Amino acid sequence: MTATLTRPPAPSGGHVPVLRLGALGTLHWRRRAVLVCLAMLAVGLIASLLTVTVGELGIPLRELPDVLAGNGSRAQEWVLRTNRLPRLLVGALAGAAFGVAGAIFQSVTRNPLGSPDVIGLGAGAAAGAAAAALVWPGVVPVAVGALIGAGVAIGAVYVGSGRGFAAPYRMVVTGIAVGAMALAFVQLALARATHEDAFAMSAWLNGSLASRRWSDVTLMAVALLVLIPLALMLTRRLQLVEMGDDAATGLGVDPTRTRNLAVGVAVLLTAAAVTVSGPVAFVALTSPQIARRLTRSTGPGMVAAACTGATVLVVADLIAQRLPFGVQYPVGVVTAALGGVYLAILLIREWRRGAV
Amino acid sequence: MTSVTSSTSVPTHSDGTGPAAAFAEPPLRAEGLTLAYDKTVVVEDLTVSVPRESFTVIIGPNGCGKSTLLRALARTMAPRSGRVLLDGEPITALRTKQVAKRIALLPQSPIAPEAITVGDLVARGRYPHQGLLRQWSPADEVAVRDALDATEVAGLRERLVSELSGGQRQRVWLAMALAQQTDLLLLDEPTTFLDIAHQLEVMDLCAHLHEQGRTLVAVLHDINQAARYATHLIAMKGGAVVAEGAPQDVITAERMADVFGLACRVVPDPETGTPMVVPARRGGHIRHG
Repeated sequence: MTATLTRPPAPSGGHVPVLRLGALGTLHWRRRAVLVCLAMLAVGLIASLLTVTVGELGIPLRELPDVLAGNGSRAQEWVLRTNRLPRLLVGALAGAAFGVAGAIFQSVTRNPLGSPDVIGLGAGAAAGAAAAALVWPGVVPVAVGALIGAGVAIGAVYVGSGRGFAAPYRMVVTGIAVGAMALAFVQLALARATHEDAFAMSAWLNGSLASRRWSDVTLMAVALLVLIPLALMLTRRLQLVEMGDDAATGLGVDPTRTRNLAVGVAVLLTAAAVTVSGPVAFVALTSPQIARRLTRSTGPGMVAAACTGATVLVVADLIAQRLPFGVQYPVGVVTAALGGVYLAILLIREWRRGAV
Repeated sequence: MTSVTSSTSVPTHSDGTGPAAAFAEPPLRAEGLTLAYDKTVVVEDLTVSVPRESFTVIIGPNGCGKSTLLRALARTMAPRSGRVLLDGEPITALRTKQVAKRIALLPQSPIAPEAITVGDLVARGRYPHQGLLRQWSPADEVAVRDALDATEVAGLRERLVSELSGGQRQRVWLAMALAQQTDLLLLDEPTTFLDIAHQLEVMDLCAHLHEQGRTLVAVLHDINQAARYATHLIAMKGGAVVAEGAPQDVITAERMADVFGLACRVVPDPETGTPMVVPARRGGHIRHG
């Protein structure tokens, strides 16, 4: 590949280098966004190493390469391969999915609060999963149940808002109502389940990465491989739709089509992530916003949101596993606590600006 | 930007009656257009043409459907029935990105993205010329620079759009539309919210763009400005076109009474000679000199 890096005069006076890929064409990217992504990945990597190495069953760092290569002790192999590695990878991949889904929804609703968890998508997926696991067990796999639940929830938002996805404010309000109904259904499912089922389910409903399997890793990896490229292809169109439907149409973007496609991608991402990790709170809400502020980008930065989401969830799970209270908390408890603080900051800022 | 272009200085072919009009089919034409929001029909069975290389201005009272008509011409609103023809082709049969290479639109209230610079916003006007893998080319750079120069905002390129004054911001949005490099430019109330000096600045800019050979269609509230700058006027009332043609033919005292319910005199504009509407003295509310 003849990739050369040049810096021609670019739209913003030079901080947009252009990557020329010979006959393939040119892609432009922002140096700041790339640096933020690299920094995020570095933080995520450190957290990952800590996740694998710290604790009673932790594998000392210097032995890690051997264990990874398959030359460790049997106990170490077991810890790494069936316990910590799948948990870590599921966390990173689900976090990335939540991040991208959040970026899409916040762009579509033109609202930092318009994320899939606020809009009832996470709750819908949870209700679908609960139905598949507890109410009608064995009819469909839990993942399919989550997808159906997310689909029903977003369908209800589409119909309930009266104007599809074109009216952001109505979409958020309808979504909150749909989310409340979905959670009521989950409570119903829990109430009529056996004690053990209900206990397992409630841990998952908080968002938990405990005892993840390699099949979960595969599911997330396949989902991301298919869906992230689609999200990337929609990024520029979403940016233009953020300027208003008329402006976007004038520039040659069909706003309705763009929104519907993007919401479809976000629904699939959310359903996949909820299936493997439960409806982890606030990752989809906070990650894209953190990414947007750090990169100072003016649109949904999918890659930055993915990196941030992955890092946020891995770090939160590390904290959840290491909380000094004797028990292991589900990761959702940590993200909810961190997210609550973040939400308060966001609302206070908006309030000071007079926007709320 | 001090030159004022009067309609009389424009070649006659541009009002659709000259010799060139014979082979110049209208670049934009609405046929039997019915437009409605939900159940409210705003425009019914309307047929109108935009003459090639004209500066067409649509006037009419609030709620007459002038902005709705412009939105339909710009395909941002789907007609309930009828069709819009772009160079004789139904606009809905064309891919929207292809249309964006031929028609640029300045909407009434576009939303400036948070923390975007002038240069980045104007660069977005290049979207219709770009593809997934061909995202920025030297041609794009030239187009953006030309658009910034034409609207005299090149010096603001690195500034944030949110920091600009209303007049500057409107010129930046115009620059974005210009970066599309289209022959047709549609403007929905481009001077609303601007003070009179900035209104005239935007109108002068539009006149200049028209002189360069573009076809402009604008919705305006100020009839006297419309008369000064337009080469072709379309007067609307209650969702129908009541008159169209050269400003001196369209703007008469009788028509203003009919369209706006306004008692007025129409006198020649002392500066340009174009028709100027002077509202009649009303009641006892006005101090006598």
